[in-house]
Amino acid sequence: MAMFNKILVANRGEIALRVIRACKELGIRTVAIYSQIDARALHVRAADEQVCVGPADNALSYRNIPNILSAAEITGADAIHPGYGFLAENPHFAEVCESVGLRFIGPTAEHIALMGDKAKAREVMRKKSIPVVAGSEGVVTSEQEAARIAAALGYPVMIKAAAGGGGRGLRVVNREDELNRSFQSAQAEAKAAFGDESVYVEKYYIEPRHIEIQIMADDKGRVVTFGERDCSIQRRHQKLLEESPSPVVEEPLRRELSRVAVEAARAVGYLNAGTVEFLLDKQSNFYFLEMNTRIQVEHPVTEVVTGIDLVKEQILIAAGRPLSYRQQEIRIRGCAIECRINAECPDTFTPSPGTVVDYVPPGGPGIRVDSALFPGCTVPPHYDSLVAKIIAFGDTREEAVARMNRALAECRIEGIKTNIPLQRRILNDPAFLKGRYSTNFLEKFIAGE
Amino acid sequence: MNLKEIKELIELMRQTGVSELEVERSGVRVRIRTGRTGGEEPAVTVVHPLSERASQEPSAVKPSAEPGAPQPAEEQGVLVRSPIVGTFYRSASPDGPNYVEVGDVVKKGQILCIVEAMKLMNEIESETDGRILEVLIENARPVEYGQPLFRIDPTSA
Repeated sequence: MAMFNKILVANRGEIALRVIRACKELGIRTVAIYSQIDARALHVRAADEQVCVGPADNALSYRNIPNILSAAEITGADAIHPGYGFLAENPHFAEVCESVGLRFIGPTAEHIALMGDKAKAREVMRKKSIPVVAGSEGVVTSEQEAARIAAALGYPVMIKAAAGGGGRGLRVVNREDELNRSFQSAQAEAKAAFGDESVYVEKYYIEPRHIEIQIMADDKGRVVTFGERDCSIQRRHQKLLEESPSPVVEEPLRRELSRVAVEAARAVGYLNAGTVEFLLDKQSNFYFLEMNTRIQVEHPVTEVVTGIDLVKEQILIAAGRPLSYRQQEIRIRGCAIECRINAECPDTFTPSPGTVVDYVPPGGPGIRVDSALFPGCTVPPHYDSLVAKIIAFGDTREEAVARMNRALAECRIEGIKTNIPLQRRILNDPAFLKGRYSTNFLEKFIAGE
Repeated sequence: MNLKEIKELIELMRQTGVSELEVERSGVRVRIRTGRTGGEEPAVTVVHPLSERASQEPSAVKPSAEPGAPQPAEEQGVLVRSPIVGTFYRSASPDGPNYVEVGDVVKKGQILCIVEAMKLMNEIESETDGRILEVLIENARPVEYGQPLFRIDPTSA
């Protein structure tokens, strides 16, 4: 199949810019879509063509399927890259793209639908003898059933939205007498947030680590892995800092995690980029948590330690090319850390939209910045608060930490508040420096201040 | 089209006495009108069909109608903007009559045009009574969300 002539990027901000950059390097023309409030945004100016698709409200613009498809039609785009968030994991969108002859750059609608149902995904893995986080077999429909399962698992347990994911729609239940109330409110929240009240129950591990494996599959059934990312530094299940390799994953465990990730991908005949997420307990047992069927926010960390452009690879695979790398050719070298820079008050975490009056990104050896900020730009209140990703690379973890510290100190973002002060405190925390942290780290860290 | 090329076109027009020129390349259209009296600055309009937005600052000097003409008509009236992305059509079918012409009096709810999106014909209705002052898009051109389609004078009916 010939390479794409023109790709429409159905996203905004730093990831839209990321995809546009990959397209430019491949000689592919680009179409940016934007909401009215993003008219002067960097991703709009970076693309060859621009189409306004709606007002600021993302339901009417960045998630406006008819307008986005129409934008592809009038510009003659032959493929769409959905980025992450928005429509990236909307199976209906993936399906509609294909039905109008637009290649959706990612897995198929079936993959998205299957992995998007977190309860079903667990079941598929369980049936393939892939260890999963202990929990219910599929959706739980009554408090009585939930109570029975929770008693068998042992408290604490988590009630999770089947249509959720990305850390949303979760309830921790510590004791039996909390279960009924938590179950009902979890269902209500799931219904409100995802339009689907289905929930399932999982064992809640104390202080697990979140380890994920990046995979890529072509349409010939070949799957490769790119090592792990440790994403345990989270606040309310939202990742804040990621690193590769994980300080607690040695080569034998890495091989095992990778082997299982490949099995998981093969179990569903996966295509294109994906991430298999695991929980690692204190004994280094690992359990399948969920699979993300998109390019992820933290993909640069893997790109930097492998030297591989994952977004370009996505495009090549979507155009029908075989994988560019054999597993033996993929090497993890050095250490990388990514800090997510959010437009928020570092103490209260309230969003801080506004005009960025000055922006000086960090630079120098081993520093990569993925951002759509520029001096004078507007950070609108309508979208998520991520404004920049700073990635530091070093031959050792110590060097990566030193570079990140330098980069965070150099970085100037004036006019809005950011979480840079929080990131700097994390980078200097003794537990973090020892690599001894779990998903409870950040909450305790914040509470302790 | 870059500034050098535009300057060359203007010079060419001066030399040959051509008063109006429109060039289109790679989806960008340039329309140049020279003034009638010598020494007057030519008016240049650069139209990018997919990014014309009257609400933002103008990307080029708007053409002046006649030298010394009164305030151009485009300053008056309200804009009818496309509510969707698609292709603008002035009539229901290729051979059919245009829904409206400049000068027509229209009523609120009257169909002004079609914007076709993904093979679906969307009829765009007027939000107000009034008179069509200007048709801002050529037939069969692509339009984006919010793109001005017509200028209507809502005061006259």
